[in-house]
Amino acid sequence: MKLFRFQRVGRAKVIVAVVLALLIPGTSMAADSMPAVVFNASTVGPRAVESLTQRSILRDYRFAWANLAHALESNSTAPLNGLFAGTASAWLNDAVSTQRHSGLHSRYLNQNHKLEAVFYAPEGDVIELHDTAEYTLQIFDGSQAIHDQHVVVHYIVLMTPGADRWVIRQLQAVPRF
Amino acid sequence: MSSSTNTAWTSRKALLACFVSTLCLAALCSAQAGELRGPSGVVAGTSTSISTTGNGTAMFYLVGPTVSMKRDVNLGEDVTLTAQQLQNAGKYLAIICAGTCTSIEFFVSPAKPSNLTFLVHPSRAPVGENDVISGVALPFDEFHNLVLAPSTVDFQLTAKGASLMSHPASTQDGIAWFRTNSGKSAGATQVLASINDVSARRVVQQVASDPCSLHIKGQRTAKGIVVETDPVHDCSGNPVPDGTIVTFTAKDGKQTDTVDAPIKQGIARAQMIAAGPTVISAASGVVMGNELHVGAQQ
Repeated sequence: MKLFRFQRVGRAKVIVAVVLALLIPGTSMAADSMPAVVFNASTVGPRAVESLTQRSILRDYRFAWANLAHALESNSTAPLNGLFAGTASAWLNDAVSTQRHSGLHSRYLNQNHKLEAVFYAPEGDVIELHDTAEYTLQIFDGSQAIHDQHVVVHYIVLMTPGADRWVIRQLQAVPRF
Repeated sequence: MSSSTNTAWTSRKALLACFVSTLCLAALCSAQAGELRGPSGVVAGTSTSISTTGNGTAMFYLVGPTVSMKRDVNLGEDVTLTAQQLQNAGKYLAIICAGTCTSIEFFVSPAKPSNLTFLVHPSRAPVGENDVISGVALPFDEFHNLVLAPSTVDFQLTAKGASLMSHPASTQDGIAWFRTNSGKSAGATQVLASINDVSARRVVQQVASDPCSLHIKGQRTAKGIVVETDPVHDCSGNPVPDGTIVTFTAKDGKQTDTVDAPIKQGIARAQMIAAGPTVISAASGVVMGNELHVGAQQ
């Protein structure tokens, strides 16, 4: 009887975990492939970033990059839904479709992001971030690797708040900040 | 066949093999990608080219923010990249493969601003408040690239043809912003952001602030006491918007009666029931009105 109860509780936990995983936005990547993100909002202005907002931005930015990597590796636009909007969404969808058309795919491995908030609008409706991203970029033509390089890329990022998450609207690489 | 003939035949075969090997090696070498020389200072939406060295054919790849393409190229010739392929600002990777692969990276910078994203808050602002109106402007080029080169955005606030504020602000990392006080008069305020010949306009409705003072008057009627305010204004003289609540309180010694009445056409009006001598007061927000003493019913 005890064993039966334990099994029932165990099964319930598994069901709850699966449901939670499905509900949390953008959890399509396994935990061990999640990008590492360090977020600094100490010098941002004119509005300070509340701690709850910092946590939301950090969470959604990590998921966004995990989904971006997943989309460009699998050549599927589905992972881009939810955490990208506007120009960023359009660009990444184009990137995936042109990759698919050319028979290419890319891998973004060992991602480390140093994210710094540089502007937070007075009313909190847009935040600009600087991301110094380090990752290994591999590009494949079919199964043949044509590029494999550890890179440091600087991104200007615009994020805006949605109903229950922060979405990336602009993700633009620049030579330097 | 003599042994000398055999030796000569063997050495001729060795020579031929050596020659063929050399040819193959040369062919292999010539098919290997040489250097790529990338462009610099590329602006979004303009064509450019990448020069290659070596000879033979190779596969050329271009991977950018929205583009992934490949095509055969002849080494030693320039590879032309069209304006359409380079519309998006960011990092591009050019790869050439012939046996081995070599790559270069280059950046495309945004073109000149062609539209402004302009966020203004709030849509309705009470008059006479400090730092209540704010705006953020982000210039984008025609390809939706955020323009990062510093430039000056002129912010202007006008109401009824009169300028309330003019504030030039330089963009930093593609963003310029302002914050300002609201004016003294209720009505529509035009908020304009402009950069070169590009502009965006928004409207902020300035509304009256809280009532500044209340004055009530009233009289007893057959049905009770009818009480009303004088026209209610804020401290700048603007009529307080209809719907603002005024609370009337009547005390007749034994009991207290309270009525909330919305302002209609500048005046709040209520009917209260009290038989004995009554003191009536009114309040709206943090403002109290005068006390009105009404005698007992005859």
